[in-house]
Amino acid sequence: MAETPNVHLSLSNNAENVLLVRQALSGVAAVLALDAIETNDVNTAVTEACNNVVMHAYDGEDGPLEVDVYALPVALTVVVRDRGSGIHPHESEHEHEQEHAHTGMGIPVIQALARRVEFAEPPDGGTEVRMEFDAPKQPSLACTSSATESPRTREAPDGDGRASAAPAHGWLPGTVELRLTPNAIARAVLPRVLSALAARAYFSIDRIADVQVVAAMLAAKADESIVGDRLDVGVTIAPRNLELRVGPPLGAETFALSLADRRADSD
Amino acid sequence: MSRLEAPGATDDTQALFRRWQRNGDASAREALVQQYMPLARGLARRYGRSSEPFEDLLQVASLGLLKALDRYDGDRGHPFPSFAVPTILGEMRRYFRDSGWAVHVPRGAQERALKVREAQERLANRNGRAPTVNQLAEYLELDIEAVIDALQAARAYDTLSLDAPRPSAEGEVVAYGESIGCEDERYELVELDATLASVLGDIPPRERLILHMRFVEDLTQTEIAERLGISQMQVSRLLRRSLEQLRTLTHTS
Repeated sequence: MAETPNVHLSLSNNAENVLLVRQALSGVAAVLALDAIETNDVNTAVTEACNNVVMHAYDGEDGPLEVDVYALPVALTVVVRDRGSGIHPHESEHEHEQEHAHTGMGIPVIQALARRVEFAEPPDGGTEVRMEFDAPKQPSLACTSSATESPRTREAPDGDGRASAAPAHGWLPGTVELRLTPNAIARAVLPRVLSALAARAYFSIDRIADVQVVAAMLAAKADESIVGDRLDVGVTIAPRNLELRVGPPLGAETFALSLADRRADSD
Repeated sequence: MSRLEAPGATDDTQALFRRWQRNGDASAREALVQQYMPLARGLARRYGRSSEPFEDLLQVASLGLLKALDRYDGDRGHPFPSFAVPTILGEMRRYFRDSGWAVHVPRGAQERALKVREAQERLANRNGRAPTVNQLAEYLELDIEAVIDALQAARAYDTLSLDAPRPSAEGEVVAYGESIGCEDERYELVELDATLASVLGDIPPRERLILHMRFVEDLTQTEIAERLGISQMQVSRLLRRSLEQLRTLTHTS
């Protein structure tokens, strides 16, 4: 799938980050008008795949957890990728048993809920779980966006190595990177993910409301971006503080933004 | 190895299946139910997350388990869990469809949004400052995700909330911890699961034991209290402390 994902999340394999993935997926599901059961299926399966990375990919060490979401006319596809030892820690004649021993119920759950599942080991290491769910009832997002906006960039430029399975350069423990396209997705996903991050950073409720406003503004900013309608957001989390780096793609101007809550209790 | 993984289909297990399926031996079925109940419970928790009363869903999952026990064909060489998982999930899915869950969820989200709003005001009045999501979750006995979802629903249905008056920064600190005796620590269960594996070593033995009883053996706080001969409040406090410690450890690791 050489297509640019609608949502790309680059995270640490921190257990708390699974909530961010779920929030992002709920945003996508809302845009696609999936019903509660379909949303629950997607969320449950992807949660299992992410938990697998959290628990087993890096033997207790930190490592990247990457999630790509493609909302295409034919299917909603979610790819969960790690750069670690993954689900096949020992290639051996007992591979099948090993797989089950290391993942418990996770894989059967994914297989039961997704229409199609593929496990792959990219040449540069790690493991990739590609889950395909039933087609959204809505027209594809590409159509939604191209109706009012410039067509999004189909071919990833050289510097943007996502499609070529480049190593996760720039991955930093404790930071969260989001790449969102098109705009409808950014509007639905960014407020949810930033709210969850603000909650984690002990922001009070009223400041989270502010964060949601800022997120909506940033999503709107993608509209103004001349080069495609993609929004890149990097977030560094500290207690009562979120540092945001926001940039349209292709090296155009990036700006930093600090969201803080100095009044909240750090419970 | 996951705590939820049932033991593999050993010869003993196959014998139990034969005794139940061929001879109708109820004690063999009971043994199988005992063995695979954690599977059903784990699925109910994973699939049902923050919806339905958990007990209802557990019943549906148990029903699915019974069906799977009847229909499993051990001669095909597949381990029982790989057959049972889709059967049990299918049962829960059907239950959600039949009970109109898909329709109720959005309404539930709105109701929860209202509850969150009320709690928000109550806590703000009490403490002189707006609560955090953690405080709200604790106060409402919801998981953090449910509160964030409620905030999202509130944002969608009530844009006025952004203009609501904000309390001042002054105010005294209230010990929430003492006011709530039996909150449900199932929240962030999956996350904790992962955390347990990596940082349990940093938790004192007694608290580790309580965590184990709560999350691995799935005992209630009262059951744990009975076993250890302490009060349920103490169990609650110790659980809370170790959960907080775990969270800190995850934060810093």
